[in-house]
Amino acid sequence: MARFRRVLLCVALLALGVTTAAFAGNGGLAPPAPASPNADNIRDIYWLILAICVGIFVLVVGALVLFIIRYRSRGRPREAEGPQVHGATNLELAWTAAPVIILAVISAFVFWKVSDLGATSGLPASEANAAKQEVTIDGHQYYWEFVYPNGAISVDKLRLPFDKPVRLTIVSHDVAHSWWIPALGGKLDAIPGRRNHTSFRATKLGTFPGQCAELCGLLHAEMRAEAKVLPVDEYRAWVQHRASPAGRLELGKETFTGVCAKCHGLSGQGDVGPSIASNPLLGNGAGLATIIRNGTGKMPAVGQDWSQNQLNATIAYLRQHFHQGGSGGG
Amino acid sequence: MAARAELPRTPASLIVSRGRYSSWLTTSDHKRIGILYMATSLVFFIAGGILALLIRAQLATPNEHFVTRNGYNELFTMHGTTMIFLVIVPFWAGLGNYLVPLMIGARDMAFPRLNALSYWLFLFGGIILYSSWFAKGGAPSAGWTSYPPLSDVPYMPDHGIDLWILSLHVLTLASLAGAINFLVTIHRLRTPGMTWMRMPLFVWSMEVYAALLVAVLPMLSAGLTMLLLDRQVGTHFFLPAEGGNALLYQHVFWFFGHPEVYIMILPGFGVISEVIPVFSRKPIFGYTAIALSSVAIGFYSMLVWAHHMFTVGLQGYLQGFFMISSMIIAVPTGIKIFNWLATTWRGNIHFDTPMLFALGFIAVFVIGGLSGIFVAAYPFDWQAQDTYFVVAHIHYVLFGGSMFTVFAGLTYWWPKIFGRMLDERLGKISFWLIFIGMNVTFFPMHMLGLLGMPRRIYTYSNGGVWEWYNLTSTIGSGVMALGILLFFVNMLKTARSGARAVNDPWLGDTLEWYTTSPPPPHNFDSVPYVSSPRPLRDLRRRLAEARA
Repeated sequence: MARFRRVLLCVALLALGVTTAAFAGNGGLAPPAPASPNADNIRDIYWLILAICVGIFVLVVGALVLFIIRYRSRGRPREAEGPQVHGATNLELAWTAAPVIILAVISAFVFWKVSDLGATSGLPASEANAAKQEVTIDGHQYYWEFVYPNGAISVDKLRLPFDKPVRLTIVSHDVAHSWWIPALGGKLDAIPGRRNHTSFRATKLGTFPGQCAELCGLLHAEMRAEAKVLPVDEYRAWVQHRASPAGRLELGKETFTGVCAKCHGLSGQGDVGPSIASNPLLGNGAGLATIIRNGTGKMPAVGQDWSQNQLNATIAYLRQHFHQGGSGGG
Repeated sequence: MAARAELPRTPASLIVSRGRYSSWLTTSDHKRIGILYMATSLVFFIAGGILALLIRAQLATPNEHFVTRNGYNELFTMHGTTMIFLVIVPFWAGLGNYLVPLMIGARDMAFPRLNALSYWLFLFGGIILYSSWFAKGGAPSAGWTSYPPLSDVPYMPDHGIDLWILSLHVLTLASLAGAINFLVTIHRLRTPGMTWMRMPLFVWSMEVYAALLVAVLPMLSAGLTMLLLDRQVGTHFFLPAEGGNALLYQHVFWFFGHPEVYIMILPGFGVISEVIPVFSRKPIFGYTAIALSSVAIGFYSMLVWAHHMFTVGLQGYLQGFFMISSMIIAVPTGIKIFNWLATTWRGNIHFDTPMLFALGFIAVFVIGGLSGIFVAAYPFDWQAQDTYFVVAHIHYVLFGGSMFTVFAGLTYWWPKIFGRMLDERLGKISFWLIFIGMNVTFFPMHMLGLLGMPRRIYTYSNGGVWEWYNLTSTIGSGVMALGILLFFVNMLKTARSGARAVNDPWLGDTLEWYTTSPPPPHNFDSVPYVSSPRPLRDLRRRLAEARA
């Protein structure tokens, strides 16, 4: 009976292992495919620790299963005692020393990999000394605002130049958030009253998803973000366009999607907040600006720190899309 | 060291009060208080478990609307707070209450009335927490850690958080009084011959449990008081806009919060150190190493708190320091596991339910310990922090660790406490369901974390593997719940009708098996002189020699 149960357990574990492996393309067996040297280094650390830990697990649980099978009572009465062994100093010293050595190896590896983190890792000295793109990330309930060196602004969608050093300054003016794009590296908290910095370099083109990782309130789960890595020319063009008057409507649209729509719905139909489609307030530009700046009732002061440009862009977008009579041309 | 068995006066617990119910309300008998503690914490375990099942139901599929956003935040806040403050910590206070005086040959705890006060404070602390469902704005919803500024008035003006603070304040007082009681009892009331190095290992673990509580609970009280003042009096300890520091709370909270993890697991280690030798029919391997490793774990647990804060932007050298101190803790923990393994070596292993939970504990706790090494390596923690990887880790440690040892302890001492044997068949079925369900629930969470699923999100929109892992986890939680249900059925069924238990059904090593099952109010008529850590085995041998 006891043997039958063990066989059953083995089958169950095997089935679990197989199913797991079956839908694991990159099914969560490692951090996502890295798109920056930082994420790459972190993945190396993961693989090393995984290898060591799997080894330890097999050793310990192997011994456990072996002893369970080998030394089961097999009908011996409870009175039958095993050998009265109280300890073995050398053995105990050995299994104290071995973990110390293993952990020292892991720590040394971590320190070595950490020394190679940052925007310039792997770059020749000439490029490494070039100025970094400085982007400020401001976490808000419940959106990310990005400010680029020339004053351009985007919401929830961060644009990055391919293979150029970037330095992020991460701040918050309400509650704590945590900035995290798994493919680009680890997370860093946005904590009110602090300015946190991190540097990295995106080495893959494409769009990489992420989301806020520190509980920030009711819509924490909706505080998603993505990083778009663009060829350098395209990135420069985009930053210039966004900062110019021509980029205003796009900014308004992005702000609406990132800020307003999370509570009021993508078509302004209302959700957590009331419906804004054809709301009479849309006709009152000054009143709208006051509410966005200061909040009202349950609505937080989402636009407290916005530039006049961003405020105007948002109001323009709102009126164009949701104001009665404000059709296409606005 | 003036530990003497003869107490100078009749303990309050020996003044037997009449009345079937009123005697329980007025009792100061450590055994009855222990039962009250354990029973209450198990009721809260059911409550916390139901909250967990609701969480898993909400996460079973993407874009689910089984509960509201706010309802979800309330669920995980109450689940975490319940399991930590109302289940595991008080369960150990209850089991310790029942066993420590018996194991050291004393008649009662050192301060029986203070002991009763601890229990009633615990009960009312729990009631206060659960009353928050009816407060304006509902239950607290800032997570069991309740970081400001989110938990501060501008963002959570309703009263859930205030009741959460009040409840934890009351529970802190309860634990503090209980911990002082344990320390005095263990230091002063040991029976003649029971030196420190002859003390049962469970008593050793309760000593470290109590010492840690005394050391770190004031820190929690301080943090909670500052938060309360911020919310109600208009101070701004944690509001940066007014010159406060939001990070201060995290330091204060985790200085308490990490030792709290060991407060929850050390008594469990103690249980395992009692169960494994008895069911292997061998002495514990490396008694001294196990006892001292508990002390080492207790000490180092106070030096690792910032590993919960690797992503807040600490200086590099601080992150390095906290990585190394966190890894050092793995060494004494490893020593314990190797010693338990060595104890089973060449034994005569009996697979009664307590032993199944003890062996199962080793297997799953190893996973929880190893994933701890991952998150201690701080660059990797930048990826794993606040994701389901960490959720998996804490549940392997707290469910696979603490709760498995709770089940092992309950089934091991059940015959002593109630004088009845549990049903072995039901016990084994419930073990396998809990063991399999636990792994199916929590193992996929590692993968979800690596895929990028943060904790505390009420829903997700990714299908594919995200959905598969979440669904698997939800199914596992159902299997686990079934196992736990059977465990409770077993307890209820056998409490009155189970087979009568003899004084020492497992042929134990320690003094509690010397007295009757259940023990009389005064515990012992006489206590044998203790000349080794295994007085009962010594006694059995002497009796056998006398017969021969």
